[in-house]
Amino acid sequence: MRRQRRYWLGVLGGCLGLLLLAVPYGQAHKVKHTPAELKAFQEVFLEQVRLGDLLFHGDAETERQLGVRLSRTGMACAMCHPFASDTHPHEFPKFQEQMQEFATLREMINWCIENPNEGERIDPNSPAMKALEAYIYWSNRGSKLDPGRH
Amino acid sequence: MDRTDALRLEHVRRQQRRHQNSGELARLRREMDKTLRPPGVHPDRSLGITRRTFLHRSLLTGAVAGAAAYGWFPLLNTIELAYGAETFSFAWISDTHLYPKEVNTRFVEKAVRAVKEVQAMQPPADFLIFGGDLAQLGDPVELQLGNEILKELTITKYFIPGEHDWYLDMGATWEKLFGTSPWSFDHKGVRFIGLDTISHAPDYWSAKKMTPKERMAHMATLDSSVAGAWAAVGREQLTWLDRTLSDWPKDRPVVIFSHNPLYEYYPPWNFWVRDWREVHEVLRPFTNVTNIHGHVHQVLYNEIGTLRSIGMLATSWPWPYAPEGVPPLTIPMVRVDPGDPFDGVGWGKMTVRQGERVDYEYMMWRQDVLATAPWDAGTGDNINQILSPRLADRMWPYQ
Ligand code: HEC
Ligand SMILES: [Fe+2]
Ligand SMILES: [Fe+2]
Repeated sequence: MRRQRRYWLGVLGGCLGLLLLAVPYGQAHKVKHTPAELKAFQEVFLEQVRLGDLLFHGDAETERQLGVRLSRTGMACAMCHPFASDTHPHEFPKFQEQMQEFATLREMINWCIENPNEGERIDPNSPAMKALEAYIYWSNRGSKLDPGRH
Repeated sequence: MDRTDALRLEHVRRQQRRHQNSGELARLRREMDKTLRPPGVHPDRSLGITRRTFLHRSLLTGAVAGAAAYGWFPLLNTIELAYGAETFSFAWISDTHLYPKEVNTRFVEKAVRAVKEVQAMQPPADFLIFGGDLAQLGDPVELQLGNEILKELTITKYFIPGEHDWYLDMGATWEKLFGTSPWSFDHKGVRFIGLDTISHAPDYWSAKKMTPKERMAHMATLDSSVAGAWAAVGREQLTWLDRTLSDWPKDRPVVIFSHNPLYEYYPPWNFWVRDWREVHEVLRPFTNVTNIHGHVHQVLYNEIGTLRSIGMLATSWPWPYAPEGVPPLTIPMVRVDPGDPFDGVGWGKMTVRQGERVDYEYMMWRQDVLATAPWDAGTGDNINQILSPRLADRMWPYQ
């Protein structure tokens, strides 16, 4: 319980920090950034990576908080994709054989939720999807962009 | 195999070599190999695995027709194994990763299928070796379920544990049901040895006051760094191995079963034992050692010195190849279809031929096991992939 509170405080703190640092809307990029601002941007991103990592590794508490059910087989994404390998975010969009369709990464994430995992597909713009995407991209950063590769 | 297949295969291999032969690990391996391989001994020529495989496939039409009834196609690779006294075969099943029945029925179905197929082997297998990871979370319910499923098999069974069987109750249920390891026995001219490579984890739980379930959960996460370099043979077992082999002629065949590979493939996923160098020191005088291992859930082949290692399939699910360290001698398995639970998985059959050889077959439940083109290979498709180890397992709530 205490951990959970600490976690939400962390999220809140990150957001507040950003608010305080934020330049008035409409002025973004028109002023030079301080290291503190950059650090705050990075923290927001890494927080999403962390959340995505938890979801990807089947953390029940994070699923509950975000209101998603990614698996019904006991299996988590990471059991077939350690270090998010073989998710190939750098290859999207592409023709996806499994769906017989031109598809995005988010569509393929949902396909894996529904098929091997027998879970419930999630809103492509939901916080859970963004977090999963953040984790998958972060884990594959440095990979060469190669859209369309089978 | 026609010419285009041969060219593609060469292409896959060249790419692999380029990727794997660079770097510190490759240098170390070459050095180990140079030190350990006796003069005049060369890597196994039958390592044209795929060539032989294709050859066998075309010669084996009769056998394949029979096999088709079971839904698998035998693919053979032959390696030399001198002085086996008579022809016999044995079977390997591992990595069933059973959950309680209500949670996941697919894994149960696949374990049952493997058991049925081994039971139906003609001529019958002399014995089964179960290579560990029977359960997913070491739960006595899971281990008991596995015990029930394996009871259907009436041939002699030998067991070595996997990490998933162990870290809930530190092996208590496992040892009650399946006995202790290491062990050794002689069968028809071959010395068989079963090792425990999983119970020697450094204590990562006491200081952090983990519950048994938490301890097990960290161990069960392949890409977690919390359990550290847990895979090992350990000083005591090394001494045991040395003693057990002391009365065995150096040129007679030895087959060693272990859950983890006995070389360094990819430590971040514990695809190794941390004391692999010491293992090789003990085995060094023996010219005919085959290690058969599980844990990696994929097709793997390697040689260091005179030790050859064969990685077996899981029945539960396949792992992707690690981003580095795949031995150049491995012909990669095909990419897996995530929509088919019976793809990329299966069991193994080993036949020791009279006087000469061990044939091993991957009983994968699909038509093609080994890739011939880079775009179909479990390694070749990751040509532009660069992976980073996780951050989150070093942060709350993992830490
Ligand atoms: C039972 C194993 C399994 C599970 C569980 C699983 N996947 Fe997959 N997934 C695969 C396999 C196998 C592929 C195909 C890889 C290939 O094409 O080489 C794949 C492909 C993908 C791809 C597309 C890669 C490509 O190039 O086409 C993405 C994205 C993906 N998975 C994400 C996920 C996510 C997110 C989860 C969890 C919700 C998940 N997977 C769970 C086995 C699994
Ligand atoms: Fe396993
Ligand atoms: Fe394992």
